[in-house]
Amino acid sequence: MNDTLLVVVLADAVLYGTPLLFASLGELLAERSGVLNLGVEGMMLFGAVVGFWTTQRVEGASALVLVLAILASGLAGAAMAAIHAFLTITLRANQIVSGLALTIFAGGLGLSAYVGTELGFSPDTPAKQQFGSLDVSALADLPVLGPIVFDQSALVYASWIATLLVGLYLGRTRFGLNVRAVGEAPASADAMGINVTLYRYVHVLIGGGFAGVAGACYSLSISPGWIAGDTLIGGAGWIAIALVIFAFWRAELCLVGAYLFGALSALPFALQARDVEVAPELLYAIPYVMTIIVLVIASTGLSKRRLGAPAALGIPYVREER
Amino acid sequence: MVGITKRFPGVVANDDVTFEAAEGEVHALLGENGAGKTTLSNILTGLYRQDEGEIELYGEQVRFHSPRDALDAGICMVHQHFRLVEPFSVAENVVLGDHRGAARRFVFHSSAIEKRVEELSTRYGLAVDPKARVWQLSVGEQQRVEILKALYREARILIMDEPTAVLTPQEAEALFGTLRAMAGEGKTVIFISHKLHEVKAVADRVTVLRGGRTVATVDAEPATLRSLAALMVGREIDVARPLEQPRRLADVRTLEVDGLTVAGDRGEIAVKDVSFAIREGEIVGVAGVAGNGQRELAEAVSGMRDIRAGSVRIAGRRLRGGDPREAIRAGVGHVPEDRLGTGLAPSLSVTSNVVIKTYRRRSFSRGPLLALRRMREAAVGIIRRYDVKTPGPGTPVRNLSGGNLQKLVLGREFEDDPLVLVVAQPTRGLDVGAIETVHSYLRDAATRGVAILLMSEDLDEILALADRILVVYEGEIVGELHAGAASIEEIGLLMAGGGSE
Amino acid sequence: MKLERRLEQPWWLSVAVPLGSLVVAFGMMAVILAATGHDPVETYREILDAAFTGNGAFSATFISATPILFTGLAAAAAFRMQLFNIGAEGQLYLGAVGASWIALLLGDRGATSTPLYVVAMCVAAGLAGALWALIPGVLKAFARTNEIITSLMLNYVAGLLLTYLIFDSSSYWRDTSTLQARAFPQGKPMPEASNWPTFGSEVVVPLGFVIGLATALALWVLYTRMRFGFEVAVIADSPRAARYAGMRTRRKILSVMAVSGAIAGLGGASQIGDFTYTLDGSTTGLQAAAFGYTGIVVAALARYNPLAVCLVAVLIGGLQNAGYTLQGPDFPSGLVGVMQGIILFCALGGELLLRYRLRIRRRSSAHGGSGPAVEPAR
Repeated sequence: MNDTLLVVVLADAVLYGTPLLFASLGELLAERSGVLNLGVEGMMLFGAVVGFWTTQRVEGASALVLVLAILASGLAGAAMAAIHAFLTITLRANQIVSGLALTIFAGGLGLSAYVGTELGFSPDTPAKQQFGSLDVSALADLPVLGPIVFDQSALVYASWIATLLVGLYLGRTRFGLNVRAVGEAPASADAMGINVTLYRYVHVLIGGGFAGVAGACYSLSISPGWIAGDTLIGGAGWIAIALVIFAFWRAELCLVGAYLFGALSALPFALQARDVEVAPELLYAIPYVMTIIVLVIASTGLSKRRLGAPAALGIPYVREER
Repeated sequence: MVGITKRFPGVVANDDVTFEAAEGEVHALLGENGAGKTTLSNILTGLYRQDEGEIELYGEQVRFHSPRDALDAGICMVHQHFRLVEPFSVAENVVLGDHRGAARRFVFHSSAIEKRVEELSTRYGLAVDPKARVWQLSVGEQQRVEILKALYREARILIMDEPTAVLTPQEAEALFGTLRAMAGEGKTVIFISHKLHEVKAVADRVTVLRGGRTVATVDAEPATLRSLAALMVGREIDVARPLEQPRRLADVRTLEVDGLTVAGDRGEIAVKDVSFAIREGEIVGVAGVAGNGQRELAEAVSGMRDIRAGSVRIAGRRLRGGDPREAIRAGVGHVPEDRLGTGLAPSLSVTSNVVIKTYRRRSFSRGPLLALRRMREAAVGIIRRYDVKTPGPGTPVRNLSGGNLQKLVLGREFEDDPLVLVVAQPTRGLDVGAIETVHSYLRDAATRGVAILLMSEDLDEILALADRILVVYEGEIVGELHAGAASIEEIGLLMAGGGSE
Repeated sequence: MKLERRLEQPWWLSVAVPLGSLVVAFGMMAVILAATGHDPVETYREILDAAFTGNGAFSATFISATPILFTGLAAAAAFRMQLFNIGAEGQLYLGAVGASWIALLLGDRGATSTPLYVVAMCVAAGLAGALWALIPGVLKAFARTNEIITSLMLNYVAGLLLTYLIFDSSSYWRDTSTLQARAFPQGKPMPEASNWPTFGSEVVVPLGFVIGLATALALWVLYTRMRFGFEVAVIADSPRAARYAGMRTRRKILSVMAVSGAIAGLGGASQIGDFTYTLDGSTTGLQAAAFGYTGIVVAALARYNPLAVCLVAVLIGGLQNAGYTLQGPDFPSGLVGVMQGIILFCALGGELLLRYRLRIRRRSSAHGGSGPAVEPAR
């Protein structure tokens, strides 16, 4: 039963969806504070490189090295995000162009490749350590639920905790209320004594950290190793950005969306393994086409204003303007 | 506040201003638009930092680096444009940014806060539902939320910036009562306004600002409207309304609105089955509290909003609706409420804005090519004829002052010889001189035969200009009066929904 | 210290700031190079040599500059109206598909019909690119869907289409004539007469570049002297004012996207006619070149001015060219992306100085003048 197409795809959906989940949660936080960060793809790649490097260079117990690797990749992502934050918050640059610049800078033809070759990674080096499934003893053999829920890596479980935390943070804490105010009406938040600049910086950086971790999901879990160029991630960063819109800026829906797209990414491989005769490109195109469709549906639904984006998204906040 | 000076690019908003207020009093800051009242209060609340001067609070010198400092010191302001977060509930707005008491806890407990909000609202007579989302509330209710914010924070000094612009005369009276009650409890209320009779009604003392400087501080009791007006403007002005003879008008109906029903932004019906007509050369004023359908009505007539049912006819020609270009071609001019955001493109030059509607005409373009020189000439003409003060026709319009922006827009609309002119809040934020100019332009246009539909929240303005007055309430016309026969009390009653028996 | 909005912009600032940011960017790059053990001066000299001064360098630079001239113009055309068309990459691919299709269709017609080929290929490519761009355009105009993501997703789809046409199908474009061609998939070779001519001998300028220059000029006229451009400027500044003035915003979105896509498509035609002479479906060829994204960098640096795009395209083309030529153990890969990123960052930072001026004031108490207003040296 656990070998059926459905179960396999769903289990893989979780696997492939996890980086999407991390990345979209991070972008969600940034956008809730009013800053659009299109550099997700670049931050993910950079996080992937740094995480991978950590496993190659640091010796020690497997668990320890992996934790360090995740921390390192998070910091790497945050460092990239800091550039974007500085440009858009302090220097009030156009957020869209800045995000694109970050993608080019940090991406597969930029810093990630630079660092990769500097550190002497040849293409297709396998990772010394990687996140394998946590063996939760007999639970993994349960019908249906087993492979999907219990045969996953620590990263997956961490992502569930992260989703819960982000959702609670935004909905139930004082800081969450403040950041939502910053994203909706920064002038009002400012007048109420909330430090708009600080909140934006913090959330953009955290968003970058999540993106870095998301990247590490690829180099340390899904396709462990280093592949030059941006085929390692292949557009997942952009899908994550679309996911935030699809999720109407809510954490729990990010999870749903991430796994949906994870399933779409897993489908081609699963079908191929069953010798289904379809041109592979057609299957690979599905996630991208679905993203468009989903976005269209979300946009037309968004015309009911109240379900929509943070009102101040993309607009720099200036206090002393006449 | 002593010796406060604040400069902005191109203007000195406050010039060596000195202002003091006492505990337990209602102190009014009087001055026309542009005199520097809002800037001064923004400094007091920490939003701006003064370039020079000192602030003393209860005898001690203070320096505010951010709004939080001012809030912590017990100073709260209710702005003219509310600082609310629309998707949030009333309770969430009240408690936002507060770091004492129930909100201090990491996790947010809305029920405790809602209870406190209810307590405060009953105690001060500010009825509002703590669970309601702000975007659902009327403007008057939103103002109450702003006041509740201050009360929740146990503010010692409350600043109200032009609060009655959005209230009916009766609601304003209620507000004055609330303010006097607060002063009675020992709080200090600073009441910013440019309306003489309000200041006289509610304040204990009045400080007058003019051109960014302090002119005088007087007791409200002995002052008269005339003396205050003189201080405010620097010259004697006639405060009484000039009694006008009803004008003789042609019987041609230029604008006919019949059974008009229009939907608002959220799908609700904003204008319900409205019918009226405006004759050639007539000025019809629409009075009503903001948010009762005036904006949607203006947008429907000017083509910016779809017509759900009914009809709009210009000189007999029926408009399809929802198409600004059609309305423009039919002869509808529109001076929108939002000058710089809708009526003008802020970063573009004066010239570009002058031709923004007419650039396709043969006078301004040869086929697909623009005739740049002729556009410039047209702009220069309007600048001269309508006294628009600008460094040149190439200046971005965002650099112009409010009065000049309005003169520009009016000039542009008039030059196109409209049959109907829809004007919304034409003198909001303008100083007395500019107001007089705009009024004279409107009267001239009426004399020339333009039918004018005037929306204004300023009753004085409507009474001064209109031949006939329509009162709207909740999207319907609840009263029609001739200007000579109208009284403020009657209009105020209609605006608040109390129909005449 | 505080920032004040400028009331007007002195004209020299619009040139000084981009130039200045370029200088700063090269400076920062030098620091990074030095920090990773490469000699910056040496590296820059090598870049200069490989890009412009060396033997055949300038010609190679034109090869790199031509496609990004087109994608840069495409980006500029759209970005000027706040339409963020990131899909130039995919629109270029579709242009290549269209151009190669019509060249194959016309068949072998002899050398004198080269002008026919050029025109046909440009038309087909422009149409293909425009149609591909209209997908996000229509979605934006009628469903208000974010064009950034839709155009971007279509890039990936377009790439997959290319691969499909050559690798996984027996399509019209695929060469199935020889056994070898069937085993190692490749595109059909174009008729010889469809190869685009070049100009010059010492420094070889491809026809595509010349077409690009002409397109830039046409775009400039369209946007600064025609009603089209006026409407674009108003919509970009204030969509509400545009609607107020009776402008047809939706129609404009469609036409601007179509123009942008068509220009990117022309870039695809140039790829076929100038350089590859066949449709390249591999993931290491056309799809790895990132012309579309580089075009955005070019457009942003040129501040969306079509004439400036021409200049910047040559500059960035030189950089790209140097990147390819010098790649090796001594010359880090990824350097090109890093440089472009830094240049763009500095340009964005420089933007600030264009819109605001820096005022340094000494904090003063009571009365007494405030300190003199000091502006930065720019």
